Amino acid sequence: MLTTIETMLVYTLLLGSLYLLVSIGFSLICGVLRIFHLGYAYIFVATIYLTWMFFHTLGLPLWLSIILMIVVQAGIAIGIYKGIVARYVKMEEKIITGLLLIAMIAQEAANKWYPVQAAVNLPTTIIPGSLVIGGTEISYQLILAAAFGILVTVFFVLFFLKTKTGLAVRAISYDINTSKIMGIQVEQIYMFIMVVVLLPVIIAMLMIAPVWAVDPWMGWGYMTTAILISVMGGLGNIRGTIIAAFIIGLTHAFMAFVIKEPRLMNLAALVVVVIMLLFRPQGIAKTESLW
Amino acid sequence: MTEILRVNGVSKHFGGLMAVNDVSFSINAGETLGLMGPNGAGKTTLVNLITGKYLADSGNVQFMGHDITRMSPYKRCKLGISRTYQIPRPFPELTALMSVAVSALYGKDRVNQGLEDAATEATHYLEFCGLFSKRNVLGKDLTLYELRGLELARALATTPKVIFVDEVMAGLNPGEAVKAVRLLERAKEEFGVTILWIEHVMAALMKAAQRVVVLHYGKKIAEGPPQDIANDPYVIECYLGSCHA
Amino acid sequence: MELEIKREKIVLRAGTQKFEWHIEPRYWRNPFIYIGILLLATVLVYFFSPQTLPTLVEANLLAAIAIPLGWMTVGTGRMNFGPQFYIGAGGYAAALCSIHLGWPPAVTLLVTLVVGLVFGLLMSPLSIIAGGLYYTLLTLLFPLVFLEITFIYTDIFKGDTGLSGIAPFLSGGSYTGNQLMICLLSLFIMLIYMFIVDKIMRSKFSASLAAINDDEEVAEAMGVNVKKIKIISFAIPAMMIAVIGWFYAHYYTTLSGISYLPLSFMLKVLMVSMIGGRVQIYGNVVGGYFIAFMELFLISVIGDMATVMFPVILLILLLSLPEGLFGLYRKRRYREYLPTLHVRR
Repeated sequence: MLTTIETMLVYTLLLGSLYLLVSIGFSLICGVLRIFHLGYAYIFVATIYLTWMFFHTLGLPLWLSIILMIVVQAGIAIGIYKGIVARYVKMEEKIITGLLLIAMIAQEAANKWYPVQAAVNLPTTIIPGSLVIGGTEISYQLILAAAFGILVTVFFVLFFLKTKTGLAVRAISYDINTSKIMGIQVEQIYMFIMVVVLLPVIIAMLMIAPVWAVDPWMGWGYMTTAILISVMGGLGNIRGTIIAAFIIGLTHAFMAFVIKEPRLMNLAALVVVVIMLLFRPQGIAKTESLW
Repeated sequence: MTEILRVNGVSKHFGGLMAVNDVSFSINAGETLGLMGPNGAGKTTLVNLITGKYLADSGNVQFMGHDITRMSPYKRCKLGISRTYQIPRPFPELTALMSVAVSALYGKDRVNQGLEDAATEATHYLEFCGLFSKRNVLGKDLTLYELRGLELARALATTPKVIFVDEVMAGLNPGEAVKAVRLLERAKEEFGVTILWIEHVMAALMKAAQRVVVLHYGKKIAEGPPQDIANDPYVIECYLGSCHA
Repeated sequence: MELEIKREKIVLRAGTQKFEWHIEPRYWRNPFIYIGILLLATVLVYFFSPQTLPTLVEANLLAAIAIPLGWMTVGTGRMNFGPQFYIGAGGYAAALCSIHLGWPPAVTLLVTLVVGLVFGLLMSPLSIIAGGLYYTLLTLLFPLVFLEITFIYTDIFKGDTGLSGIAPFLSGGSYTGNQLMICLLSLFIMLIYMFIVDKIMRSKFSASLAAINDDEEVAEAMGVNVKKIKIISFAIPAMMIAVIGWFYAHYYTTLSGISYLPLSFMLKVLMVSMIGGRVQIYGNVVGGYFIAFMELFLISVIGDMATVMFPVILLILLLSLPEGLFGLYRKRRYREYLPTLHVRR
């Protein structure tokens, strides 16, 4: 039998990787595009409900629904970029408000057509059943999602460090004007980033959907965690985000298993972040760059 | 000549870089002290330490009998330290008049000063710097020369005892540069301020400064009248190359 | 402290400081006309369609939230994305005192003021230590965490269902008569806030607010006590916003965190600010009325789809109006206090 501490550690790894999957996109957008994508929550909602719409209402096969959903989401992301972000480059409040409004529209629309009672249920289980570790039972889906979390992060890190496009992205995150002078196609890279950050969230949602409940408001819970992790890790810094994700995972696991007050998880995470900011206002990151 | 500012062995490092390394000097009332050094020597960092933007890691700064090493910038300003910025930092959305009025209002604790009185005082400083006709122009719309003048007017409006002037002539054409230097001289005469002048242009410092301090890689390598500095072999080596820190 | 009224100035001397305001009656014509219009509108609505009175109350309250928020934004140089936290704090303080201690609204008002001030002071250091984006994110999160707390400690806060049985403002007498009185009270609060913030923006204090808004570091180098001003500009507007929470509590006699703390309410307040052109005080009034009436219109005309159409319309408005509705009307004056969020680290 595992002791409480060991259960907590197991969950730290699990939650940390999951949260990493969810937050890395947010951190990237903050670091590269230098905007607050406060509408990030819409991606969660759109993933689940668009797929459901194609699958259930239109009766298309699951794999086709998923592909269509990705295409539609990519279109929406590019539309958002062109319509809101590119138009109001210097007026950040407008961008933030616009993105928040998009999130609201997505949630209200989902609530209108597929409220909680509609029993949205995506059969995206790849590995059914669960693993029993010590006193707790962890569904294989979650473990798979956590594994994906680590994989995606490694993929992103390798991408940013080893490829030419990754180099361009890092250059932009340092200094946008110099990057433009050097001939980097900034607009295209921005659009690329906005589409790329959809993927971790889509993977996460599709993995998690059968295990944890879905409802139109689910985006905000994940987004709160993404915000806390990004702020703590230093906006836009992948190394900091990784460390922060596991610290927050640890905090949540600690609250859930050691203190046994799972309802206070978010509050505890907020307190931890605020305390850390008091001592190190720029976050965990040592540099202001992507890595 | 009474000493009003004394810097004792201040150091500041950023990460592994020693930006300012054990620098000591003093400024006497009414003089113009030049601060020279190649780019990256730590001149602006030293000024930031004295004006309060950064806190020194070691050493202390004494001003008019007060130990200001740990004071907040606004308190130092109220004691009589003021500065201009190398790259002008106006208040972009405020007019020139309002910018200087802010300094006049808050530079010192004054009795019975309303916004109007401050604005009236501001016009005096603006007119001294030749910016009276531009008083209603927003900070973001002024030209570089006007911005430099605004920086000086804003610094003077706090009625300081010492002004730290950071590279007044950078980016100005020769005619404007001459006018800028003359403006500084007139400021000294009219307002009786002491000036610490960071500058690269040797010719200007030769004429205007009574003493010069030279920094190199954060350390003070020479101090004295301009003529001696110009003939100091170590200084010449640093400016012309082949020098070790 | 002494107050001197000269022929064209009002001079307030406190200690060694002097504050002056010019009295220019020729500029009073417009404000008096607009206040008259608002009063007239209230009375007309009372006589002809009393069921619209709640919408007027909502409009006044929305404007009354946006006005101190404008001051907070300029004074701290950052946008607070969670003003509804104080509504929640003030509202719950008033509600709990009313229910458990049986205090009348006038007394709970004092409690709300104290609670608002305390929370404002507690959270004001955030405006000093946290830079632009971090500040935005953290202020965004505080109300959401508060909401969670109301769910967690259900026995005190009655999470989902909310507290009920709060003493109303007026009891007895005709219902519509009471509604009219309450509507006038909300108008009164809004006008007082407008007066306070306007006078602050016209005094010499506004010079330091504008300086901090533009460039904090330079302002501090020029002798402005940035920390003190930020704390004042955070705590006092927080107190003012908390009073609106008090109003909501006693007006609806029920209070549930879910109505005010989530982002949907914050977006409404934000849109009031945006439509009104952010710190333009009179613009906030226009914004408040616009949003309140648009909500009414949408719900009565479109009905069910209103919750979806509301953000859509707001988005369209945001994209099509550069300076807010009010900006379309107002001529550009040379003093503008518009904060900009820079992605600073």
